[in-house]
Amino acid sequence: MLELWNVYGLPLAFMLLHIGAIVGAVLLAVAYYTYAERKVLGAMQRRQGPMTVGPFGLLQPIADGIKLLSKETIIPSQANRAVFVLAPMMLFTLALVAWAVIPIDYKLVLADINVGILYLFAISSMGVYGIIMAGWASNSKYAFLGAMRSSSQMVSYEVSMGLVIVTVLLCTGSLNLTEIIMADRPAWVQVMLFPMLIVFLVSILAECNRAPFDLPEGESEITGGFMVEYSSMTFALFFLGEYANMILMSAMTVVLFLGGWLPPFGIEALAVVPGFVWFVLKTFLIMFFFLWARATFPRYRYDQLMRLGWKIFLPFTLIWVLVVAGSLIAFDALPE
Amino acid sequence: MISAIAFYLFALMTVFAAIMVITAKNPVHSVLFLILAFFNAAGLFVLLGAEFVAMILVIVYVGAVAVLFLFVVMMLDISFSELRQGALQYVPIGLVVGGILLAELIFIFVGWHIAPSAMDNRITPMDQTVQNTEALGRVLYTDYIFAFQVSGLILLVAMIGAIVLTHRRRPGVRRQKIADQNARRPQDVLDIQKVTPGKGI
Amino acid sequence: MSDFSLSSLMPLAPELFLAVAGMVLLVVGAFMGNRSLRLISWASVVCYGIAAVMVVSGDGGRAETLGGMFVMDGYAELIKIFILVGLAVSAILSIQYLYQEQILKFEYPILILFSGIGMMLMVSAHDLLSLYVALELQSLSLYVLAAIRRTHLRSAESGMKYFILGAISSGVLLFGISLIYGYTGTTNFALIGQALGAEISLGALIGMVFILAGLAFKVSAVPFHMWTPDVYEGAPTSVTAFFALVPKLAALGLIARLVFEPFYPLQDDWVQIIWILSAASMLVGAFAGLRQENIKRLLAYSSIGNMGYALMGIAAGTTAGLSGLIFYMAVYMIMTAGTFAVILSMRRQDVNLEKISDLAGLSHHMPKLAYILAILMFSMSGIPPLAGFFGKFVIFQSAMESHLYVLAVIGVLTSVVSAYYYLRVIKVMFFDTPAEPYDGHISWGRWIVLAGSVGFILLFIISPSSLLDICRTAAVYLIPSSLS
Repeated sequence: MLELWNVYGLPLAFMLLHIGAIVGAVLLAVAYYTYAERKVLGAMQRRQGPMTVGPFGLLQPIADGIKLLSKETIIPSQANRAVFVLAPMMLFTLALVAWAVIPIDYKLVLADINVGILYLFAISSMGVYGIIMAGWASNSKYAFLGAMRSSSQMVSYEVSMGLVIVTVLLCTGSLNLTEIIMADRPAWVQVMLFPMLIVFLVSILAECNRAPFDLPEGESEITGGFMVEYSSMTFALFFLGEYANMILMSAMTVVLFLGGWLPPFGIEALAVVPGFVWFVLKTFLIMFFFLWARATFPRYRYDQLMRLGWKIFLPFTLIWVLVVAGSLIAFDALPE
Repeated sequence: MISAIAFYLFALMTVFAAIMVITAKNPVHSVLFLILAFFNAAGLFVLLGAEFVAMILVIVYVGAVAVLFLFVVMMLDISFSELRQGALQYVPIGLVVGGILLAELIFIFVGWHIAPSAMDNRITPMDQTVQNTEALGRVLYTDYIFAFQVSGLILLVAMIGAIVLTHRRRPGVRRQKIADQNARRPQDVLDIQKVTPGKGI
Repeated sequence: MSDFSLSSLMPLAPELFLAVAGMVLLVVGAFMGNRSLRLISWASVVCYGIAAVMVVSGDGGRAETLGGMFVMDGYAELIKIFILVGLAVSAILSIQYLYQEQILKFEYPILILFSGIGMMLMVSAHDLLSLYVALELQSLSLYVLAAIRRTHLRSAESGMKYFILGAISSGVLLFGISLIYGYTGTTNFALIGQALGAEISLGALIGMVFILAGLAFKVSAVPFHMWTPDVYEGAPTSVTAFFALVPKLAALGLIARLVFEPFYPLQDDWVQIIWILSAASMLVGAFAGLRQENIKRLLAYSSIGNMGYALMGIAAGTTAGLSGLIFYMAVYMIMTAGTFAVILSMRRQDVNLEKISDLAGLSHHMPKLAYILAILMFSMSGIPPLAGFFGKFVIFQSAMESHLYVLAVIGVLTSVVSAYYYLRVIKVMFFDTPAEPYDGHISWGRWIVLAGSVGFILLFIISPSSLLDICRTAAVYLIPSSLS
């Protein structure tokens, strides 16, 4: 019995603890990300933002949460119940599951798998199902239009995201996220990757359905898009899922381009600060970018969005993959 | 033990989902179960140690191909139960064909006899220390470069074919021409006139 | 691991050149749009010429490369030359037709080019894997070409039909390949030959049957011929011409390599299969053709019958049979080219005609064309001293030498039967009441094809042995030395 406990029980308990810690941290981050969004938007528009609930409005997210939980869940009579309820759960679960492979610090990762980056990409590419299921199951025109927009948008931008990831992999020679962070990248390689960082940043905006690419829920045209029929807890799950996804994408950018937990610019002196702090700070930077973009740009038109994805990003990333691969070979800088 | 539990979980889910694909009344449910089947198949691949194939299966099939499936099925207004109405009358034929195939398979397995040189010809398994992404890359770009490149040509032809057969230019559609918009200069389109008060233009 | 010196790619040079040329032409077309159709067509013809020169200038010896996936020998060389000629002819024949029928798609010649690459790779395949990818490259282009006129119901239908049946046949082929791989442990032709030479298992036998069935679909041998008449009729006529000219030559070349290299130890078994395919094709081709009113359908059945004769050459299993097959296919290709050049010229009030009865009075309005078609039809039905006669003669002779008497008798009888429908075309042209005249203009490219075709048929008698000798030298490459 004791042996069984030692072989299975203890690791399981430890793993559950680890999972709990990650989920707790992400949920807390999501809650205060919504707060941060309103504060940042407020500041950019010379407003105060939330400020009445608690000191500086700090308790606002909790109040919002309680409000959503205490409302009645409405399921439209014409909706496909099972799929309707499953959709937000799926979106939210996927947003959490992906965190399993994100290395917060050296060896501080739940599952250090060989194909970590592919896992991340796979999970994020499945996110589209939550939305498309929600849109279809709602049995409503607006919801369905939103789902259609979103699925084509996400599938389109995944193509260029995939090519961006390929370029990064060329420079690091591994699919493991820890090794990607640790890989030795010369300065000129970093410079060559910079355009890909831009493409990636724009693509994650589209992938998360965030402004200026928030057409799936474009309230001026299709009222609320795929979540127009959702209320209360189901809506809350969508909301949580969306923000968790944004944080995840930010972390992904940090892992791929910004050197994860390593101190910025390779300055040794900064290594006294623990790695995870750097990781979190860098992630905050990208998260701020999401809000900044929302406050700055007007929403794209649908054909413009598709044009950007297929006619600009796709050819550019394709060519850039060749350019980077070619220069890596020419300067004999391929990893391994 | 854990891998055994995981195997039976994934395998049972795959079989269950596969059965639901063909029995579900609603076509959208069928596609969703198909996706579930793909996902569980990916799980089985992971158990086999083929993590690369598993992830590619999810990215390509679940993430892209099945989305398009779902897209089409959702937009088509078809009722599978109507399509299936006549299906029962074909059951005898199906059974005959299936029976013949089964008999053939039994024949083969009874007469199962691997040629002596077959074992020698078998490609030796890859080095276990190499990750399977790398192992795949090593053979794909060397031993199988020919098949790989010709597959590339096939995909090119498929792309040309898809464009030839579906692309059409509809007359009377107003398109945004960004180059034209950028080339517009104020002096071409603006005409500044002095307006004297009380007179109009 | 194989090495990637430039020399290892030399045997592949013509295909590589064509692939690059195809992509360049694609880019040209993408930028210039459909008005570049004529330019791209002629450019592709020039490319075929260059590729042919590259094929000829190879050292002629046998060379395996890319890990044994690709082989270049005298046999492949000769068939590739024929394929390239066929591709060039079908491109030349198409141009005027495409402009007349307003099928202005610059992708058309490019698809022909890519399917041509597929065919050339097919004859050089030396591994089941390369066989499959080459076959798919060729077939996929053909499916698209059949449906290229998608606004016309017939064309779309024929493309769809061809695609679905083709996909099923590919599935059958793959099933066979998997069985062969399972029972011999390899996909390489030479190693399969060795494994089967050591021991023949039931599984491998079944695998071979499936592979031959899948390939029989591609050459439209009975009972896998159902798609042929519909696709021939539905596809635009220039595409039909292309279908009739080249793909079957490549598929037959592939079957011959397959049965003589990896499956040689199974000769007793595959001879029976080929025997049945051949006899059935000849019979169906002859009898089903009798009632056709549409000339494209007629030619579809004629091609089914001709595949029967060609397969007889493989069934013979000797150098004589194989050289007869190559020779027969070459002559058939030349005759078909001429015939389609005439059919493509059958236009009245800007509409293409496809009925046999529409030929009435051709001798009155365009005697030159009528006499050319008459010569072609005489040759097709095997009247001496025209080239078509020699083709059949060589095949029958090789069958007799291999003691396939029944097959040879069926061949003679069916060619007598099929002579009826060839001669009927002549009768309609010369003796039926003339209808309205045709639209006169025939492009010079088409005249060249007509002149070449008829010239070959008439003048062949002067030196019959020269082409036969070339075919024989090529055939020797494939037949194991024990026989030749």
